[in-house]
Amino acid sequence: MIIIGEKINGTIPSTGVAIASRDSAFIADLAVRQSEAGADFIDVCASTAPEVEVEALKWLIDIVQSVTDVPISIDSPNPHAIKAVFTDIEKPGLINSVSLEADKTEVLFPLIADTEWQVVALLCDNNGIPQTSEQRLEIARQTIDCAVGYGIAPSRLHIDPLVISLSTDQTSMTKFIHCCQEIKSWYPEIHITSGLSNISFGLPLRKSINQSFLVLAMGAGMDSAIMDPLDRDMLATLLGTDALLENDRYCRKYTTAYRQGKIGKSKN
Amino acid sequence: MNHSDNGGETMIDVNEITQQMSDLDEAALLQSLAEVINAGPESALAALQACQAGLEQVGKRFETQEYFLSDLIYAGELMTDAAALLKPALAEAGTATLGKLVICTVKGDIHDIGKNIVVTMLGAAGFDVIDLGVDVAPEVIVQTAIDNDVKIIGLSSVLTLAVDSIQATVDAFVAAGLRDQVKIIIGGNPVSATVCEKTGADAWAHNPQDGVTICRGWAS
Ligand code: B12
Repeated sequence: MIIIGEKINGTIPSTGVAIASRDSAFIADLAVRQSEAGADFIDVCASTAPEVEVEALKWLIDIVQSVTDVPISIDSPNPHAIKAVFTDIEKPGLINSVSLEADKTEVLFPLIADTEWQVVALLCDNNGIPQTSEQRLEIARQTIDCAVGYGIAPSRLHIDPLVISLSTDQTSMTKFIHCCQEIKSWYPEIHITSGLSNISFGLPLRKSINQSFLVLAMGAGMDSAIMDPLDRDMLATLLGTDALLENDRYCRKYTTAYRQGKIGKSKN
Repeated sequence: MNHSDNGGETMIDVNEITQQMSDLDEAALLQSLAEVINAGPESALAALQACQAGLEQVGKRFETQEYFLSDLIYAGELMTDAAALLKPALAEAGTATLGKLVICTVKGDIHDIGKNIVVTMLGAAGFDVIDLGVDVAPEVIVQTAIDNDVKIIGLSSVLTLAVDSIQATVDAFVAAGLRDQVKIIIGGNPVSATVCEKTGADAWAHNPQDGVTICRGWAS
Protein backbone atom coordinates (compact mmCIF):
# COMPACT_ATOMS: atom_id res chain seq x y z
CA MET A 1 0.00 0.00 0.00
CA ILE A 2 1.35 3.39 -1.02
CA ILE A 3 0.64 6.21 1.43
CA ILE A 4 0.60 9.78 0.17
CA GLY A 5 0.79 11.93 3.33
CA GLU A 6 -1.74 14.74 3.03
CA LYS A 7 -0.87 16.96 6.02
CA ILE A 8 1.03 19.71 4.23
CA ASN A 9 -1.98 21.29 2.57
CA GLY A 10 -2.98 24.92 2.87
CA THR A 11 -6.66 24.03 3.01
CA ILE A 12 -6.04 22.55 6.47
CA PRO A 13 -6.46 25.69 8.64
CA SER A 14 -3.36 25.23 10.83
CA THR A 15 -1.19 24.45 7.82
CA GLY A 16 -2.70 27.41 5.96
CA VAL A 17 -1.67 29.71 8.79
CA ALA A 18 1.82 28.20 8.86
CA ILE A 19 2.20 28.79 5.12
CA ALA A 20 0.94 32.38 5.33
CA SER A 21 3.30 33.17 8.21
CA ARG A 22 6.18 31.12 6.74
CA ASP A 23 6.44 28.99 9.86
CA SER A 24 9.10 26.59 8.61
CA ALA A 25 9.35 24.63 11.88
CA PHE A 26 5.67 23.71 11.65
CA ILE A 27 6.04 22.43 8.09
CA ALA A 28 9.28 20.59 8.86
CA ASP A 29 7.59 18.83 11.78
CA LEU A 30 4.72 17.65 9.56
CA ALA A 31 7.19 16.35 6.99
CA VAL A 32 9.25 14.46 9.57
CA ARG A 33 6.31 12.95 11.41
CA GLN A 34 4.63 11.76 8.23
CA SER A 35 7.90 10.23 7.04
CA GLU A 36 8.35 8.42 10.33
CA ALA A 37 4.79 7.14 10.18
CA GLY A 38 5.62 5.48 6.87
CA ALA A 39 4.44 7.89 4.17
CA ASP A 40 5.76 6.95 0.72
CA PHE A 41 5.22 10.46 -0.62
CA ILE A 42 4.82 13.79 1.17
CA ASP A 43 2.11 15.79 -0.53
CA VAL A 44 2.81 19.51 -0.80
CA CYS A 45 -0.14 21.75 -1.62
CA ALA A 46 -0.01 25.51 -1.01
CA SER A 47 -3.66 26.45 -1.64
CA THR A 48 -2.74 30.10 -1.67
CA ALA A 49 -3.87 32.78 -4.10
CA PRO A 50 -2.65 31.88 -7.62
CA GLU A 51 -0.19 34.78 -7.88
CA VAL A 52 1.78 33.68 -4.82
CA GLU A 53 1.39 29.92 -5.21
CA VAL A 54 4.68 29.21 -6.97
CA GLU A 55 6.64 31.10 -4.35
CA ALA A 56 4.83 29.28 -1.54
CA LEU A 57 5.39 25.90 -3.19
CA LYS A 58 9.11 26.57 -3.57
CA TRP A 59 9.33 27.51 0.08
CA LEU A 60 7.49 24.30 1.08
CA ILE A 61 9.56 22.09 -1.21
CA ASP A 62 12.80 23.45 0.23
CA ILE A 63 11.74 22.70 3.77
CA VAL A 64 10.46 19.22 3.04
CA GLN A 65 13.60 18.26 1.11
CA SER A 66 15.85 19.53 3.86
CA VAL A 67 14.30 17.27 6.52
CA THR A 68 13.30 14.05 4.73
CA ASP A 69 14.33 11.77 1.88
CA VAL A 70 10.75 10.75 1.23
CA PRO A 71 9.82 11.92 -2.27
CA ILE A 72 7.44 14.81 -2.77
CA SER A 73 3.96 14.67 -4.22
CA ILE A 74 3.56 18.06 -5.85
CA ASP A 75 -0.04 19.11 -5.59
CA SER A 76 -1.74 21.96 -7.43
CA PRO A 77 -4.83 22.38 -9.57
CA ASN A 78 -2.71 24.55 -11.84
CA PRO A 79 -0.39 22.52 -14.11
CA HIS A 80 1.68 25.62 -14.84
CA ALA A 81 2.44 26.07 -11.15
CA ILE A 82 3.64 22.46 -11.02
CA LYS A 83 5.77 23.03 -14.09
CA ALA A 84 7.26 26.16 -12.56
CA VAL A 85 8.54 24.36 -9.47
CA PHE A 86 9.31 21.02 -11.11
CA THR A 87 13.06 21.53 -11.37
CA ASP A 88 13.28 22.55 -7.72
CA ILE A 89 12.39 19.00 -6.73
CA GLU A 90 15.53 16.93 -6.29
CA LYS A 91 14.27 13.40 -6.72
CA PRO A 92 11.49 11.86 -8.80
CA GLY A 93 8.18 12.08 -6.98
CA LEU A 94 4.51 12.22 -7.78
CA ILE A 95 2.55 14.80 -9.78
CA ASN A 96 -0.80 15.42 -8.10
CA SER A 97 -2.62 15.63 -10.43
CA VAL A 98 -3.65 15.52 -14.08
CA SER A 99 -7.07 14.95 -15.60
CA LEU A 100 -8.55 15.42 -19.03
CA GLU A 101 -9.48 18.99 -18.04
CA ALA A 102 -8.06 21.83 -20.15
CA ASP A 103 -4.34 21.45 -20.96
CA LYS A 104 -3.24 19.45 -17.93
CA THR A 105 -1.92 16.36 -19.70
CA GLU A 106 -0.31 18.45 -22.43
CA VAL A 107 1.62 20.48 -19.89
CA LEU A 108 2.55 17.75 -17.44
CA PHE A 109 2.99 14.50 -19.38
CA PRO A 110 5.89 15.80 -21.52
CA LEU A 111 7.54 17.06 -18.33
CA ILE A 112 7.76 13.58 -16.82
CA ALA A 113 7.94 11.52 -20.02
CA ASP A 114 11.55 10.38 -19.68
CA THR A 115 11.74 10.34 -15.91
CA GLU A 116 10.78 8.05 -13.05
CA TRP A 117 8.08 10.43 -11.88
CA GLN A 118 4.67 9.00 -11.11
CA VAL A 119 1.41 10.81 -11.60
CA VAL A 120 -2.08 10.88 -10.13
CA ALA A 121 -4.79 10.98 -12.81
CA LEU A 122 -8.30 12.04 -11.81
CA LEU A 123 -11.14 10.57 -13.82
CA CYS A 124 -12.79 13.81 -14.87
CA ASP A 125 -12.74 16.00 -17.96
CA ASN A 126 -14.02 19.36 -19.14
CA ASN A 127 -17.56 18.22 -18.36
CA GLY A 128 -16.69 17.61 -14.71
CA ILE A 129 -17.01 14.36 -12.80
CA PRO A 130 -19.04 11.88 -14.78
CA GLN A 131 -22.09 10.24 -13.25
CA THR A 132 -21.67 6.67 -14.36
CA SER A 133 -18.81 4.20 -13.97
CA GLU A 134 -18.87 3.61 -17.72
CA GLN A 135 -18.11 7.26 -18.38
CA ARG A 136 -15.32 7.24 -15.84
CA LEU A 137 -13.84 4.12 -17.34
CA GLU A 138 -13.94 5.78 -20.73
CA ILE A 139 -11.93 8.67 -19.29
CA ALA A 140 -9.54 6.18 -17.70
CA ARG A 141 -8.99 4.57 -21.11
CA GLN A 142 -8.26 7.93 -22.73
CA THR A 143 -5.93 9.00 -19.92
CA ILE A 144 -3.97 5.76 -19.98
CA ASP A 145 -3.67 5.83 -23.77
CA CYS A 146 -2.52 9.42 -23.62
CA ALA A 147 0.11 8.60 -20.96
CA VAL A 148 1.35 5.59 -22.87
CA GLY A 149 1.59 7.83 -25.94
CA TYR A 150 4.11 9.92 -24.01
CA GLY A 151 6.02 6.82 -22.95
CA ILE A 152 4.60 6.84 -19.42
CA ALA A 153 4.01 3.23 -18.41
CA PRO A 154 0.75 2.31 -16.63
CA SER A 155 2.80 1.31 -13.56
CA ARG A 156 3.60 5.02 -13.07
CA LEU A 157 -0.06 6.02 -12.97
CA HIS A 158 -2.19 6.39 -9.86
CA ILE A 159 -5.74 6.49 -11.16
CA ASP A 160 -8.14 8.29 -8.83
CA PRO A 161 -11.68 7.24 -9.78
CA LEU A 162 -12.93 10.11 -7.57
CA VAL A 163 -15.28 9.55 -4.70
CA ILE A 164 -18.46 11.55 -4.37
CA SER A 165 -19.70 11.79 -0.80
CA LEU A 166 -21.92 8.90 0.17
CA SER A 167 -24.40 11.38 1.62
CA THR A 168 -25.17 12.71 -1.85
CA ASP A 169 -24.63 9.57 -3.93
CA GLN A 170 -25.67 6.21 -2.51
CA THR A 171 -23.82 4.39 -5.29
CA SER A 172 -20.50 6.12 -4.63
CA MET A 173 -18.71 3.16 -3.09
CA THR A 174 -20.11 0.55 -5.44
CA LYS A 175 -19.09 2.71 -8.42
CA PHE A 176 -15.62 3.10 -6.99
CA ILE A 177 -15.30 -0.66 -6.55
CA HIS A 178 -16.48 -1.28 -10.09
CA CYS A 179 -13.94 1.20 -11.51
CA CYS A 180 -11.13 -0.29 -9.42
CA GLN A 181 -11.78 -3.83 -10.50
CA GLU A 182 -12.23 -2.93 -14.15
CA ILE A 183 -9.07 -0.80 -14.41
CA LYS A 184 -6.99 -3.38 -12.54
CA SER A 185 -8.22 -6.03 -14.94
CA TRP A 186 -6.81 -4.01 -17.85
CA TYR A 187 -3.47 -3.27 -16.18
CA PRO A 188 -2.72 -5.13 -12.93
CA GLU A 189 0.37 -2.94 -12.46
CA ILE A 190 -1.54 0.32 -12.49
CA HIS A 191 -2.13 2.01 -9.11
CA ILE A 192 -5.57 3.03 -7.92
CA THR A 193 -5.64 5.85 -5.42
CA SER A 194 -8.14 8.02 -3.63
CA GLY A 195 -8.34 11.13 -1.50
CA LEU A 196 -10.71 9.05 0.46
CA SER A 197 -12.04 11.32 3.21
CA ASN A 198 -14.46 12.87 0.73
CA ILE A 199 -16.60 9.75 0.99
CA SER A 200 -17.85 10.72 4.47
CA PHE A 201 -18.59 14.39 3.76
CA GLY A 202 -21.90 15.43 5.29
CA LEU A 203 -22.21 12.40 7.60
CA PRO A 204 -21.59 12.02 11.32
CA LEU A 205 -18.73 9.84 12.61
CA ARG A 206 -16.77 10.43 9.44
CA LYS A 207 -13.84 8.38 10.62
CA SER A 208 -15.91 5.22 10.71
CA ILE A 209 -17.05 5.68 7.12
CA ASN A 210 -13.51 6.51 6.03
CA GLN A 211 -12.16 3.31 7.57
CA SER A 212 -14.87 1.18 6.02
CA PHE A 213 -14.20 2.80 2.68
CA LEU A 214 -10.51 2.05 2.98
CA VAL A 215 -11.14 -1.63 3.69
CA LEU A 216 -13.63 -2.11 0.86
CA ALA A 217 -11.56 -0.12 -1.61
CA MET A 218 -8.39 -2.05 -0.79
CA GLY A 219 -10.37 -5.24 -1.20
CA ALA A 220 -11.28 -4.07 -4.68
CA GLY A 221 -7.66 -3.35 -5.59
CA MET A 222 -6.96 0.20 -4.41
CA ASP A 223 -3.26 0.20 -3.53
CA SER A 224 -2.51 3.86 -2.92
CA ALA A 225 -4.23 6.50 -0.79
CA ILE A 226 -3.96 10.19 -0.08
CA MET A 227 -4.44 10.22 3.66
CA ASP A 228 -3.20 11.28 7.07
CA PRO A 229 -0.57 8.74 8.17
CA LEU A 230 -0.61 10.30 11.63
CA ASP A 231 -4.17 9.09 12.14
CA ARG A 232 -3.35 5.99 14.19
CA ASP A 233 -6.70 4.27 13.75
CA MET A 234 -6.66 4.78 10.01
CA LEU A 235 -3.10 3.51 9.78
CA ALA A 236 -3.97 0.43 11.87
CA THR A 237 -6.91 -0.30 9.57
CA LEU A 238 -4.69 0.11 6.54
CA LEU A 239 -1.92 -2.14 7.83
CA GLY A 240 -4.37 -4.75 9.09
CA THR A 241 -6.18 -4.81 5.76
CA ASP A 242 -2.93 -5.09 3.84
CA ALA A 243 -1.98 -8.11 5.97
CA LEU A 244 -5.40 -9.68 5.39
CA LEU A 245 -4.93 -9.19 1.66
CA GLU A 246 -1.65 -11.15 1.71
CA ASN A 247 0.46 -8.05 1.17
CA ASP A 248 2.41 -8.34 4.41
CA ARG A 249 4.59 -11.42 4.88
CA TYR A 250 4.24 -12.84 8.36
CA CYS A 251 2.31 -9.68 9.33
CA ARG A 252 5.72 -8.04 9.73
CA LYS A 253 4.68 -4.50 8.83
CA TYR A 254 1.66 -4.72 11.06
CA THR A 255 3.46 -6.07 14.12
CA THR A 256 6.46 -3.80 13.58
CA ALA A 257 4.24 -0.71 13.42
CA TYR A 258 2.65 -1.85 16.66
CA ARG A 259 6.01 -2.40 18.33
CA GLN A 260 7.15 1.01 17.20
CA GLY A 261 4.04 2.54 18.72
CA LYS A 262 2.72 3.82 15.39
CA ILE A 263 -0.56 2.00 15.87
CA GLY A 264 -2.43 0.86 18.95
CA LYS A 265 -2.60 2.65 22.24
CA SER A 266 -0.32 5.67 22.24
CA LYS A 267 2.75 4.97 24.37
CA ASN A 268 3.40 8.54 25.39
CA MET B 1 33.97 -7.17 15.04
CA ASN B 2 35.56 -10.32 16.36
CA HIS B 3 39.00 -10.24 14.86
CA SER B 4 40.67 -13.57 14.91
CA ASP B 5 44.43 -13.54 15.41
CA ASN B 6 44.61 -16.83 13.61
CA GLY B 7 45.61 -15.57 10.16
CA GLY B 8 43.94 -18.41 8.28
CA GLU B 9 40.53 -17.88 9.82
CA THR B 10 38.16 -15.29 8.45
CA MET B 11 36.66 -12.73 10.72
CA ILE B 12 32.97 -12.90 11.24
CA ASP B 13 30.93 -11.01 13.75
CA VAL B 14 28.87 -13.63 15.48
CA ASN B 15 27.22 -11.09 17.76
CA GLU B 16 25.99 -9.22 14.75
CA ILE B 17 24.46 -12.38 13.30
CA THR B 18 22.80 -13.16 16.61
CA GLN B 19 21.38 -9.65 16.73
CA GLN B 20 20.13 -9.82 13.15
CA MET B 21 18.33 -13.08 13.83
CA SER B 22 16.94 -11.70 17.07
CA ASP B 23 15.68 -8.59 15.24
CA LEU B 24 14.33 -10.77 12.40
CA ASP B 25 16.25 -8.54 10.02
CA GLU B 26 16.13 -10.91 7.06
CA ALA B 27 18.01 -8.75 4.56
CA ALA B 28 20.91 -8.06 6.91
CA LEU B 29 21.07 -11.66 8.09
CA LEU B 30 21.18 -13.11 4.59
CA GLN B 31 23.86 -10.58 3.70
CA SER B 32 25.97 -11.62 6.71
CA LEU B 33 25.55 -15.29 5.90
CA ALA B 34 26.54 -14.70 2.29
CA GLU B 35 29.71 -13.05 3.59
CA VAL B 36 30.38 -16.01 5.87
CA ILE B 37 30.01 -18.42 2.94
CA ASN B 38 32.17 -16.31 0.63
CA ALA B 39 34.88 -16.20 3.25
CA GLY B 40 35.12 -19.99 3.25
CA PRO B 41 33.68 -22.85 5.26
CA GLU B 42 35.58 -22.28 8.55
CA SER B 43 33.09 -19.93 10.13
CA ALA B 44 29.90 -21.68 9.04
CA LEU B 45 29.39 -23.56 12.29
CA ALA B 46 29.95 -20.43 14.39
CA ALA B 47 27.45 -18.60 12.18
CA LEU B 48 24.87 -21.34 12.62
CA GLN B 49 25.31 -21.26 16.38
CA ALA B 50 24.96 -17.47 16.28
CA CYS B 51 21.63 -17.89 14.46
CA GLN B 52 20.54 -20.38 17.10
CA ALA B 53 21.44 -17.90 19.87
CA GLY B 54 19.43 -15.25 18.06
CA LEU B 55 16.51 -17.63 17.86
CA GLU B 56 16.61 -18.10 21.61
CA GLN B 57 16.34 -14.34 21.97
CA VAL B 58 13.34 -14.41 19.65
CA GLY B 59 11.74 -16.89 22.04
CA LYS B 60 12.38 -14.55 24.97
CA ARG B 61 10.99 -11.58 23.08
CA PHE B 62 7.91 -13.69 22.34
CA GLU B 63 7.48 -14.51 26.01
CA THR B 64 7.63 -10.82 26.94
CA GLN B 65 4.98 -10.13 24.26
CA GLU B 66 7.26 -7.96 22.22
CA TYR B 67 7.01 -10.53 19.42
CA PHE B 68 3.84 -12.20 18.23
CA LEU B 69 3.02 -15.64 16.89
CA SER B 70 3.58 -14.60 13.28
CA ASP B 71 7.08 -13.40 14.26
CA LEU B 72 7.82 -16.78 15.84
CA ILE B 73 6.79 -18.63 12.71
CA TYR B 74 8.82 -16.19 10.62
CA ALA B 75 11.83 -16.86 12.87
CA GLY B 76 11.45 -20.59 12.28
CA GLU B 77 11.45 -20.00 8.51
CA LEU B 78 14.49 -17.74 8.75
CA MET B 79 16.35 -20.37 10.75
CA THR B 80 15.52 -23.01 8.15
CA ASP B 81 16.71 -20.70 5.37
CA ALA B 82 19.89 -19.89 7.26
CA ALA B 83 20.67 -23.56 7.80
CA ALA B 84 20.00 -24.38 4.15
CA LEU B 85 22.39 -21.58 3.12
CA LEU B 86 25.11 -22.74 5.47
CA LYS B 87 24.71 -26.45 4.81
CA PRO B 88 27.15 -26.74 1.87
CA ALA B 89 29.77 -24.78 3.76
CA LEU B 90 29.26 -26.94 6.83
CA ALA B 91 29.69 -30.06 4.75
CA GLU B 92 32.87 -28.60 3.24
CA ALA B 93 34.18 -27.81 6.68
CA GLY B 94 34.37 -31.56 7.04
CA THR B 95 31.64 -32.20 9.53
CA ALA B 96 31.64 -35.95 9.99
CA THR B 97 28.80 -38.04 8.61
CA LEU B 98 27.07 -39.41 11.63
CA GLY B 99 24.54 -41.70 9.97
CA LYS B 100 20.79 -41.72 9.81
CA LEU B 101 18.31 -40.52 12.39
CA VAL B 102 14.51 -40.37 12.43
CA ILE B 103 12.69 -37.43 13.99
CA CYS B 104 9.11 -36.21 14.15
CA THR B 105 6.44 -34.58 16.25
CA VAL B 106 4.42 -37.34 17.87
CA LYS B 107 0.82 -38.34 17.22
CA GLY B 108 -1.81 -35.78 18.16
CA ASP B 109 0.61 -32.86 18.08
CA ILE B 110 1.13 -30.57 15.11
CA HIS B 111 3.66 -28.10 16.58
CA ASP B 112 6.79 -28.18 14.49
CA ILE B 113 8.69 -24.92 14.92
CA GLY B 114 10.86 -26.38 17.69
CA LYS B 115 11.25 -29.74 15.96
CA ASN B 116 12.34 -28.01 12.75
CA ILE B 117 15.04 -26.17 14.62
CA VAL B 118 16.32 -29.44 16.04
CA VAL B 119 16.23 -30.97 12.54
CA THR B 120 18.31 -28.08 11.25
CA MET B 121 20.85 -28.45 14.05
CA LEU B 122 21.12 -32.21 13.60
CA GLY B 123 21.56 -31.83 9.86
CA ALA B 124 24.26 -29.26 10.41
CA ALA B 125 26.00 -31.58 12.86
CA GLY B 126 26.31 -34.20 10.13
CA PHE B 127 23.27 -36.43 10.62
CA ASP B 128 21.28 -37.69 7.69
CA VAL B 129 17.92 -36.68 9.11
CA ILE B 130 14.70 -38.43 8.12
CA ASP B 131 12.02 -35.94 9.14
CA LEU B 132 8.58 -37.56 9.26
CA GLY B 133 6.79 -34.29 9.99
CA VAL B 134 4.00 -33.87 12.54
CA ASP B 135 1.25 -35.98 14.05
CA VAL B 136 3.11 -39.21 13.31
CA ALA B 137 1.73 -42.56 14.49
CA PRO B 138 4.02 -44.95 16.44
CA GLU B 139 3.73 -47.67 13.75
CA VAL B 140 5.02 -45.29 11.09
CA ILE B 141 8.02 -44.38 13.21
CA VAL B 142 8.84 -48.02 13.92
CA GLN B 143 8.43 -49.04 10.27
CA THR B 144 10.64 -46.18 9.08
CA ALA B 145 13.32 -47.18 11.57
CA ILE B 146 13.19 -50.77 10.28
CA ASP B 147 13.15 -49.81 6.59
CA ASN B 148 16.10 -47.47 6.92
CA ASP B 149 18.03 -49.34 9.58
CA VAL B 150 17.98 -46.32 11.86
CA LYS B 151 19.29 -46.53 15.41
CA ILE B 152 18.42 -43.07 16.75
CA ILE B 153 14.88 -41.74 17.18
CA GLY B 154 14.03 -38.14 18.13
CA LEU B 155 10.52 -37.38 19.33
CA SER B 156 9.11 -33.92 19.81
CA SER B 157 6.05 -33.25 21.93
CA VAL B 158 4.86 -29.75 22.65
CA LEU B 159 1.41 -30.59 23.99
CA THR B 160 1.25 -32.08 27.47
CA LEU B 161 -1.32 -34.54 26.16
CA ALA B 162 1.09 -35.77 23.50
CA VAL B 163 3.36 -37.18 26.19
CA ASP B 164 1.04 -40.19 25.97
CA SER B 165 2.08 -40.56 22.35
CA ILE B 166 5.73 -40.65 23.41
CA GLN B 167 4.80 -43.50 25.70
CA ALA B 168 2.92 -45.25 22.88
CA THR B 169 5.89 -44.86 20.56
CA VAL B 170 8.35 -46.31 23.07
CA ASP B 171 5.91 -49.17 23.67
CA ALA B 172 5.66 -49.80 19.92
CA PHE B 173 9.44 -50.28 19.74
CA VAL B 174 9.18 -52.72 22.66
CA ALA B 175 6.37 -54.60 20.92
CA ALA B 176 8.40 -54.80 17.73
CA GLY B 177 11.25 -56.32 19.69
CA LEU B 178 13.54 -53.43 18.80
CA ARG B 179 13.74 -51.47 22.03
CA ASP B 180 17.30 -52.50 22.81
CA GLN B 181 18.46 -51.71 19.27
CA VAL B 182 17.42 -48.03 19.16
CA LYS B 183 18.14 -44.98 21.26
CA ILE B 184 15.21 -42.63 21.82
CA ILE B 185 15.61 -38.95 22.69
CA ILE B 186 12.61 -36.80 23.53
CA GLY B 187 12.21 -33.02 23.57
CA GLY B 188 9.66 -30.24 23.77
CA ASN B 189 8.31 -28.15 26.59
CA PRO B 190 6.39 -30.75 28.67
CA VAL B 191 9.31 -33.16 28.57
CA SER B 192 11.43 -33.60 31.70
CA ALA B 193 13.59 -36.13 33.53
CA THR B 194 10.42 -37.49 35.12
CA VAL B 195 8.71 -37.87 31.75
CA CYS B 196 11.82 -39.49 30.34
CA GLU B 197 11.95 -42.05 33.12
CA LYS B 198 8.23 -42.73 33.09
CA THR B 199 7.99 -43.27 29.33
CA GLY B 200 11.18 -45.29 29.17
CA ALA B 201 12.97 -43.01 26.71
CA ASP B 202 16.78 -42.95 26.82
CA ALA B 203 17.38 -39.21 27.05
CA TRP B 204 15.66 -35.85 26.98
CA ALA B 205 16.61 -32.25 26.18
CA HIS B 206 15.10 -28.82 25.92
CA ASN B 207 18.12 -27.19 24.46
CA PRO B 208 18.64 -28.47 20.90
CA GLN B 209 22.40 -28.20 21.22
CA ASP B 210 22.29 -30.62 24.17
CA GLY B 211 20.14 -32.91 22.06
CA VAL B 212 22.70 -32.85 19.27
CA THR B 213 25.50 -33.61 21.70
CA ILE B 214 23.63 -36.63 23.05
CA CYS B 215 22.85 -37.96 19.57
CA ARG B 216 26.44 -37.45 18.48
CA GLY B 217 27.55 -39.49 21.48
CA TRP B 218 25.25 -42.32 20.46
CA ALA B 219 26.39 -42.23 16.86
CA SER B 220 30.05 -42.76 17.61
C1 B12 C 1 3.26 -21.70 17.73
C2 B12 C 1 2.19 -22.40 18.55
C3 B12 C 1 1.15 -23.02 17.88
C4 B12 C 1 1.07 -23.04 16.37
C5 B12 C 1 1.98 -24.14 15.85
C6 B12 C 1 2.60 -23.80 14.51
C7 B12 C 1 3.69 -24.75 14.19
N1 B12 C 1 3.89 -24.90 12.90
O1 B12 C 1 4.34 -25.33 15.03
C8 B12 C 1 -0.44 -23.36 16.16
C9 B12 C 1 -1.19 -22.06 16.09
C10 B12 C 1 -0.78 -24.20 14.94
C11 B12 C 1 -0.77 -24.04 17.48
C12 B12 C 1 -1.85 -24.88 17.64
C13 B12 C 1 -2.22 -25.39 18.87
N2 B12 C 1 -1.68 -25.12 20.06
CO1 B12 C 1 -0.08 -24.14 20.26
N3 B12 C 1 1.32 -23.01 20.65
C14 B12 C 1 2.25 -22.39 19.96
C15 B12 C 1 3.18 -21.56 20.86
C16 B12 C 1 2.71 -20.12 20.78
C17 B12 C 1 4.65 -21.63 20.52
C18 B12 C 1 5.24 -23.03 20.39
C19 B12 C 1 6.59 -22.89 19.75
O2 B12 C 1 6.75 -23.06 18.56
N4 B12 C 1 7.59 -22.51 20.54
C20 B12 C 1 8.93 -22.18 20.05
C21 B12 C 1 9.80 -23.44 19.88
C22 B12 C 1 11.14 -23.01 19.30
O3 B12 C 1 9.99 -24.03 21.15
P1 B12 C 1 9.72 -25.56 21.48
O4 B12 C 1 8.61 -26.09 20.69
O5 B12 C 1 9.67 -25.71 22.93
O6 B12 C 1 11.02 -26.30 20.94
C23 B12 C 1 12.30 -26.12 21.51
C24 B12 C 1 12.63 -27.14 22.60
O7 B12 C 1 11.50 -27.61 23.28
C25 B12 C 1 13.40 -28.21 21.94
N5 B12 C 1 12.72 -29.33 21.31
C26 B12 C 1 11.52 -29.41 20.75
N6 B12 C 1 11.31 -30.61 20.22
C27 B12 C 1 12.42 -31.35 20.45
C28 B12 C 1 12.73 -32.64 20.09
C29 B12 C 1 13.99 -33.15 20.45
C30 B12 C 1 14.33 -34.52 20.05
C31 B12 C 1 14.90 -32.32 21.16
C32 B12 C 1 16.19 -32.86 21.55
C33 B12 C 1 14.56 -31.02 21.52
C34 B12 C 1 13.33 -30.53 21.14
O8 B12 C 1 14.09 -27.50 20.97
C35 B12 C 1 13.31 -26.43 20.43
C36 B12 C 1 14.18 -25.31 20.03
O9 B12 C 1 14.71 -24.61 21.12
C37 B12 C 1 2.91 -22.20 22.26
C38 B12 C 1 2.96 -21.22 23.44
C39 B12 C 1 4.33 -20.92 23.92
N7 B12 C 1 4.52 -19.71 24.31
O10 B12 C 1 5.21 -21.77 23.90
C40 B12 C 1 1.51 -22.75 22.11
C41 B12 C 1 1.10 -24.03 22.87
C42 B12 C 1 2.23 -25.02 22.76
N8 B12 C 1 -0.06 -24.51 22.11
C43 B12 C 1 -0.94 -25.00 22.90
C44 B12 C 1 -2.17 -25.54 22.43
C45 B12 C 1 -3.14 -26.02 23.49
C46 B12 C 1 -2.46 -25.61 21.08
C47 B12 C 1 -3.74 -26.15 20.44
C48 B12 C 1 -4.30 -27.43 21.05
C49 B12 C 1 -4.76 -25.01 20.51
C50 B12 C 1 -6.15 -25.36 20.05
N9 B12 C 1 -7.03 -25.33 21.00
O11 B12 C 1 -6.38 -25.60 18.90
C51 B12 C 1 -3.33 -26.36 18.98
C52 B12 C 1 -2.67 -27.74 18.82
C53 B12 C 1 -3.24 -28.60 17.85
C54 B12 C 1 -2.41 -29.86 17.86
N10 B12 C 1 -3.06 -30.96 17.68
O12 B12 C 1 -1.23 -29.85 18.04
C55 B12 C 1 -0.54 -24.96 24.36
C56 B12 C 1 -0.09 -26.32 24.88
C57 B12 C 1 -0.60 -26.54 26.27
C58 B12 C 1 -0.07 -27.80 26.79
N11 B12 C 1 0.79 -27.68 27.78
O13 B12 C 1 -0.39 -28.85 26.31
C59 B12 C 1 0.54 -23.89 24.34
C60 B12 C 1 1.63 -24.05 25.42
C61 B12 C 1 -0.19 -22.53 24.50
C62 B12 C 1 -0.84 -22.35 25.84
N12 B12 C 1 -0.22 -21.67 26.77
O14 B12 C 1 -1.94 -22.84 26.02
N13 B12 C 1 0.08 -23.66 18.42
